[in-house]
Amino acid sequence: MINDTVVELSRWQFAATALYHFLFVPLTLGLTVFLAALETVYVVTGKPIYKEMTQFWAKLLLINFALGVATGLTMEFEFGTNWSFYSGFVGDIFGAPLAVEGLMAFFMESTMIGLMIFGWDRLSRGQHLIVTYLVALGSNLSALWILVANGFMQDPQGAVFNPVTMRMELESFTALIFSHDAQAKFVHTSIAGYVTAAIFVAGVSAFYLLRKRHMELAKRSFRMATIFGVLSTIGVITLGDALGFVGAHAQPAKIAAMEAMWKTEEAPAPFNLMAWPNQEKQENSWAIQIPYLLTPLLTHTMDTKIPGIAEIEASNALRIKSGIQAVEALKILSSNPSDAAAMAQFKAHEQDLGYGFLVKRYAPEQDVSKATDADIALAAKDTIPDVFAIYWTFRIMVGFAFLMLAFFIFGVIYSLRNDVENHPLFLRFSLWLIPVPFLACEMGWLTAELGRQPWTVYNLLPTWMSASSHSVSYMVFSLIGFVSLYSIFIIIEMYLMVRAIKQGPDDHHAVQKQDKNTSSGGSVLGGNYAPVHAKTLVNEQSKEV
Amino acid sequence: MKTIGYFLLFFVLAMIVIFLVIVMGEAAPWYFAWIIGTGLLILTSAAAGFLFDTQEEKSKGTPQ
Ligand code: HEM
Repeated sequence: MINDTVVELSRWQFAATALYHFLFVPLTLGLTVFLAALETVYVVTGKPIYKEMTQFWAKLLLINFALGVATGLTMEFEFGTNWSFYSGFVGDIFGAPLAVEGLMAFFMESTMIGLMIFGWDRLSRGQHLIVTYLVALGSNLSALWILVANGFMQDPQGAVFNPVTMRMELESFTALIFSHDAQAKFVHTSIAGYVTAAIFVAGVSAFYLLRKRHMELAKRSFRMATIFGVLSTIGVITLGDALGFVGAHAQPAKIAAMEAMWKTEEAPAPFNLMAWPNQEKQENSWAIQIPYLLTPLLTHTMDTKIPGIAEIEASNALRIKSGIQAVEALKILSSNPSDAAAMAQFKAHEQDLGYGFLVKRYAPEQDVSKATDADIALAAKDTIPDVFAIYWTFRIMVGFAFLMLAFFIFGVIYSLRNDVENHPLFLRFSLWLIPVPFLACEMGWLTAELGRQPWTVYNLLPTWMSASSHSVSYMVFSLIGFVSLYSIFIIIEMYLMVRAIKQGPDDHHAVQKQDKNTSSGGSVLGGNYAPVHAKTLVNEQSKEV
Repeated sequence: MKTIGYFLLFFVLAMIVIFLVIVMGEAAPWYFAWIIGTGLLILTSAAAGFLFDTQEEKSKGTPQ
């Protein structure tokens, strides 16, 4: 018998560890790519300031990476310890990408990071640059595999359920990796990391500019970060749209929740810019709407119907009835796999198997053949996720995207004019903005994962069936343990980061020499800028290296 | 005022780019786009660094 409290606690534990872990991940994803850009400038120009910049930001990356790995490790095992039924049910499919992710993160990424940090005196410039590019590639590729695995949970592609072995089996690795959801999800998440790194670098640089310290490092970093950031934010918004587009086809209930759309409306449907969803009454207490906008936004057409929650719930009730047939056939097949009639019945209702599992929870003695209409109605209600939470977490993520886009545009303008240091208010704002991309990422995950409920594998395996059969006290104890440990990790990260930032770059004598000579610089936007000839500028200092 | 003007110009440009990419790529080959896009992003950011140095050299009157 499955204990609902244990399932809830398992969910809380996974959510807590994942959300903590994802406070570290995006910065690693983005900072590694930003380092590649910095080192490219160093290798091309030979200017030592860029080497110093690369080393300084790499030091911050290292702190973040170490804690990211520490928090990520436990999650790999959590699937087995707390979600053992899930692991058995989809292990054939989920195991492979998870293992590749582990190998990528702990072998390729970690080895390359080691070479990058300690290889400055042992590798040539070109070799070191290649290593830095491999760090960027490795960190993002390890994220790719876990996102492929998550993509499978959102939109299961490339696998079939085998009624004889009673497990999901991999049918096509290509379909698994190249599913639309996995592709859009990976790119959205990776670029979200770029945005995070850009805000982080801009914010820390703003701190130095406000304090008038390490000006050469700060101005260059700010310039590169704002360009990096503006392009990445455009990318993250574009891919966000792509994810919504994919979701509109694969997960209609999640999309209806993200848009607080209770009833199916005539196309083109209005867009709920702001709303206050009330799940009990299945309506919005109030809403500010923009007419006609939702349909083109979601479907990229003017006439595609977007189903509302009431319609989705009603059609899911029918799927539950069909799913009951599949579960009953499965029961016969489990004792006699060669029963042809049962196999035919199973095949006819196979696509609704997961819906049959859903009602098991409410059926007397968990026997679906005894499920009443009231049980079916309860299970159908379960197919609608928490609309209020999803609507608002999604809105906050999108709001933050446009806030950061506006910030980066101002940042680029000020930086191109080379007078960003004369805007203390803007610089202070840059500092305050540092938590925003991290929060946006957390909101993104909440949208994705709350929106997937009540499933661990969409339309196939309900969450309530997926958990292990631990005791409540075990779950409470381990949850408290994880939250305490991870909170300590966050405090350590903050402490180390703040200390490293206050310390600044290790060797800044070369920079100080430059600082003294620095004037306000030319301005592209101001018009007093003339492009140089295309030859490489080799600074005199580069000869010192 | 000038800054706001530039801001609006760039913001509108960004929205046009977003709109075009959305219209062109619904279920696009995103992995491929990511590889190309990340490469271009690195090069553009590096170019922003080169540009900064060029401006600095220019303002100091260094011969080019
Ligand atoms: C207009 C802007 C944006 C849109 C339309 C958008 C759209 C989405 C959607 C639809 C999801 C859910 C995916 C799913 O169900 O699996 C999602 C998830 C996510 N978003 Fe966004 N997003 C936007 C901006 C951002 C920003 C600015 C960040 C962070 C800097 C971000 C980070 C994430 C993350 C980390 C996830 C969870 C992982 C994933 O499913 O990809 N998003 N986003």
